[in-house]
Order: sequence, then C-alpha cells, then structure tokens
Amino acid sequence: MNTTQNIITFLSRQAVTAATPMILAGVGELVGELSGVINIGIEGTMLMGCIAAYTVTGVTGHGTVGLLAAVATGMVMAVIFAAATLWGRADQIVAGTAMDLLGVGLSGMIWMMYQNWRENLGFSTALPHGSGFSPVAIPLLHEIPYLGPAVFEQYMLCYLTICLCVVAWWTLNHTRLGLIIRALGDAPEACHAAGVRVRLGRSLCLLFAGACAGAAGAYLSIMQTHAFASDMTGGEGFVVLALVIFGRWKLPGLVGGCLFFGLINSLQQTLQAARYTSQNSVLHALTHVPFQFFQMLPYVAAIAALAVMSRKSPGPRYINIPWPSIKT
Amino acid sequence: MIRRLFKRIWSAATAVTLAVLVCGAVLTLAIGAAALLGYPPLRVADLWLHGAAGSWYALSSSCADACPLLLTGLAAGVAFRAGVLNIGAQGQFLMGALVAVALSTRMMICHQPVLVIPTALIGGALAGGMWGLIAQYLERYRSVPVVLSTILLNFVALYLAEAALQGPLQAVGTAAAQSPEIAGKYWLPLFVAYTDFHIGIILAIILAVLLWVLQERTVFGFESQVVGLNPGTAKAMRMPVTWRQFQIMFISGGCAGLGGAIQVLGQVHFMTAHMGNYGYAGIAVALLGRLNPLGIILSAGFFGFLDTGAFRVEESSLALPHDMANVIKAVVILVMLVLAGISLRRSRRVGNPGSSAPTETPSA
Repeated sequence: MNTTQNIITFLSRQAVTAATPMILAGVGELVGELSGVINIGIEGTMLMGCIAAYTVTGVTGHGTVGLLAAVATGMVMAVIFAAATLWGRADQIVAGTAMDLLGVGLSGMIWMMYQNWRENLGFSTALPHGSGFSPVAIPLLHEIPYLGPAVFEQYMLCYLTICLCVVAWWTLNHTRLGLIIRALGDAPEACHAAGVRVRLGRSLCLLFAGACAGAAGAYLSIMQTHAFASDMTGGEGFVVLALVIFGRWKLPGLVGGCLFFGLINSLQQTLQAARYTSQNSVLHALTHVPFQFFQMLPYVAAIAALAVMSRKSPGPRYINIPWPSIKT
Repeated sequence: MIRRLFKRIWSAATAVTLAVLVCGAVLTLAIGAAALLGYPPLRVADLWLHGAAGSWYALSSSCADACPLLLTGLAAGVAFRAGVLNIGAQGQFLMGALVAVALSTRMMICHQPVLVIPTALIGGALAGGMWGLIAQYLERYRSVPVVLSTILLNFVALYLAEAALQGPLQAVGTAAAQSPEIAGKYWLPLFVAYTDFHIGIILAIILAVLLWVLQERTVFGFESQVVGLNPGTAKAMRMPVTWRQFQIMFISGGCAGLGGAIQVLGQVHFMTAHMGNYGYAGIAVALLGRLNPLGIILSAGFFGFLDTGAFRVEESSLALPHDMANVIKAVVILVMLVLAGISLRRSRRVGNPGSSAPTETPSA
C-alpha cells in the first residue's frame, strides 16, 4: 500500500458515494425527459424522499421500510405532477417549480411536526441505533487494489443503482419498451398511431422517475448522513437536471457527468483538508485560498466542461408539449 | 376601441377573480387541513390575517417581504416572455446584494447618503445584470443552454458571496460569513414612520409599471416577445435576435440584482449568503402572475402576505410550521395552471385565435 494508491482508493470511493444519489435521480429524470416530460421538481421529490425515509425509519426502526416509504412518497409526488401536467395540461416547467415548493414546504412542515410529536412522547428524533444503513463490503472483490472499494464497498442502494443503470441502458437502447419510451418524447403521433396510449405511457415514466428520486432522497437521509435537515438536498436536484442535459440525454453521458461531479467534489474536500497537513509547498500555499473557492470548484468545472465541449443537443423534441395537441 | 378596451378589462377582471377564488378556496382547505392536524382553525385564520394585514406594521412587513419577490418575479417574467430561460435569479439576487453591501459598508462614496444609496442600488442592479450576461454569453458563443448555466452559476454566486462575506466584507468580531450592519443613514428611507414601508417598495412597483409599458407599448417589447415565441420568425423579420436576448438577460438580471440591493439596504440591513430563496420563489411568482408585470405585482403581494402571516402563526403559541405557506403557494400554482389549461382548451376549441399557447410547437 503506497500513498498514491491510498489517495486514489479514497477519492474514487468518495466520488461514487457522492454520485450515487445523483445517478439514481438522474436515471429517473432521464427516462421522464426521454418520454417528453421535464420535471424541474425532482429537488422537491428528493426532499420528500428524505423526510419520508427518515421519519418512517425513526418510527419503525427498519431502514428498509423507510426506503420503501421514500419510494412510495416519490411516486405520490409523481402522480400529482402527472395529473397536473399530462392530464391537466399544465406547463411542465411551472408545475415543476410548484412541485419544488410543495416538497420544500411539506418536508419542512412534516419535520417540525415530527420533532414536536417525538419530543412530546419523550423519544429522541435521532434514528434508532442500527436502523440506518451502513456500507456493505462485498467479500474478495472489495480488496481489488485502487478501484475495488469504490465499487464494492458501498451502500446496498449503490449496488442496486448500478444494476438499475445497466438495466435502464439495455432497455432504452435495445428493447421495444425503450423504443416506445423514446418515441413518446420524439414522435408521440407515431406512438398514438401504433396504439400506445401516450399520456398513460408518460405517466408510467414519471412514476418511475418519482420512485428513483424518492430513493435518492432516502439515500441522502438514512444512508449517507443518518440525519435530516430542512433543505438538505441543497440544490442537488437542480444539479441532476443540469447533468441530464450535460450527458446529452444519454445514460452513459449522464453517469459520466455524475461521476465527474462527484470526483471533483471529493477532490475539493480532500484538498481542503490536505492543504493544512501537507509538507508539499504547492499544496501548502493553498491554505490562503478561502475554502468556498473549493466548494465552488465542481460547478465551475461543470460550466467549463460544457463551454469547452460546446455542442448543443436539442434533446427530445416534444419536451413540455402537452398531448394531445389541439389544432385550431 | 372602447369595445377592445372593455374586452381587455373584462378578461383581466375574470383572470383576477379566478385567481382570488382559487386562493380563497386553497386557503380555506389549508385551514381545514390545519384543523385536521389538531390546530384550532379559527385561531389560525385570525392570527394569519392579523399577522399579515392586521395593522399598518403587519401590512408593511407583508409588503416589504413581497418587494424582493416582486423584483425576482419581474426578472423571471421578463426573461421567460422573451424565451430566455433564466433560472438564475437567485445568483443574480445574491450578486446584487453583495455589491450593494460592499458599496454601503466598505466603499461609501463621499459618505453622503444621497450618493451612497443610489450608487449601491445601481451597482447592485449592474452586478445582477452582468452575472446574467455570463450565462447569455455562454449560450450564444459556447452553446451552453441558459437553463443549465444559470443553475450552475447560482451555486458559484452562493460560494462567491460566502467567500466575500468571510473575507473582505466580514463583520468584526464574528466567525460567521456575515457582513457588518449597514450604517443607519444609508438605509432606504421609510415613507411611513415606524413601519417597514421603505421606498424600495415604491421603486419596485414603478419598475413593474415601466416594464409593463416596455413590454406592451414599445417595439422593443414586441420584438422580444417574437424572439421568445419563435426565434426563426424573428430572424426572418430582420430582428436583432442575439442583441435582444442579451438586452433581455441584462434587464432580467438587473431586476434580480436590484432586488438583492433593495433587500439589504431597505429590509435586513446586513447580509449573509442565506437570505432566503427569493430567486427560486420569483419563478413561481412570475408564473402565477402570467408573466405580466402587473400580474406579478399582485402575485408577489399574495406571496408576501402568505409568508408574513405564516411566520406570525409559527411564532405564536400554536407553532404551526411556516412551511405551510409554501405548500399553499404550490397548490395554488398547480390549481391555477390546470384551470388555465382547461380554459385555454375551451377557447381553442371554439377557434378563438386571441389566446396563444406558448408551447404548442416543438421548440428546438
């Protein structure tokens, strides 16, 4: 074990840990957008997932129940969004901002009332011991040098996310179902003519997206942190939206974007910590840089990467266009 | 002429009536929900109303809370109407506030309020506008979608503000990222003593009216709307599409930046990087106001009323979480959207060409 290997192992593991919720929410959002519905409200859905997972885990003492509750909550949010945009023909961007507000408001409300309720009963609001998730190391595989721990010493949900990515990629690119999903966003008339119910199909895609975002929320509250704070997603949902465009509506691009973002993020955290202890003069000189500039780094890097790559992709053609469109 | 005017007033009146009815219905439902959760409904309603509009002071704090919302709402409204999807009002708001704080706590010009206040306001607006232009530049010359870059720039602005507030702008004797309090003589003057009615509120309303005139009564407003509805048509009509988009972005960012400046000079008098999500809320305000500056005045007022009342209910012995206000806003927006969709569909069915759907054609 040398230092370089240690650093690479640590950084890659951190990057995957940070990227998992974004990938999870991103896969859902991607499927939704491919079917022609952009959901700005995933931030709100993730927050609802956070609070649902946390409170249900706190009450029942079982993390798995909390995770399922978060998935269910995400799906409920998706039903509301689908009802407004697909069946009520609301503008998707506007309805999405409303869903954001709804998520922030409801999660904040539930959190305050939950705290009051638990304190009145004389319980702590912290999770019962052992009910949150901890990373699970897969025997043998996690001992692979360099990148072993990054992939094989993660939370259960991370392994599920990897499976989900593979399944989603296969489905989207190599199956009839994937073709239908993409057609829903690119040529709804063709779907209609082929006997596919457009609004129903889009609703199902949204349900999937909601479930994913809810699970991503659960990851944040009962796995990564074992805590809840109002607005704890801190704009991660918006970053996911950006990363879907960043990956040009392709799954590998999206995953790559999330990992890149996670890597820069873990890199900046490590640099922040390392600059005080390191003997290296270059690193030491960084102590004079305010730490906020490190926090800024992932966003600046994302903008810079976009500016350099510089090729616009139009994305699904029928995003934010209600079906059936009415001819005057 | 008279008939047209009458028709306009009639449609505006029905829109406002509909909005009021929906708001009333949702508020009633919310109070009902509070009752189900075990809060005394009448007392909640009473506290809410009194907290938001029960006295001159309560009314003034509602208006003061609506003021930044009005400006960020205008920022979103102006931009969306021209098809510039500026989600970055939050960052522009912060940059405006930051420059205003710098100009009123560190770089006061001649130490004269007459000079300091206007330069701080204008500086804030310029800073917001320039911050917006970065995104527009990236869109035009580097093909980065504005939606994307404005979201990312919001975070950059947040950390930039925190760095400044913990560095050159930090207050003496604190470790937090916080500016010193602005000296009392540089505060925006009040026009009713002992309330929160500062002249920033009037300024914001005047700006809204000016923007309405600009949008509805000038060539610039018409062109920017055409650019928003169909850039191809605009280009074919030899309109300066790129130039209009840059101008719109500057105006939009300027509104948000001015909002930040007015908020620090008029209301909170010092700055932290977490001054509330006015930027994101502004999008909702603009959309509830149907992107019409006059409508945005009303919807910002409604949001301010809800927020202020909700905080008073939370502070009272009932301790009903103030986030209730956000839930109500969200439900109102969703219901209004669906109702608007239905009315749009009806008018389309009878073939009324007057109503135009913003997004009936695939956009590139």
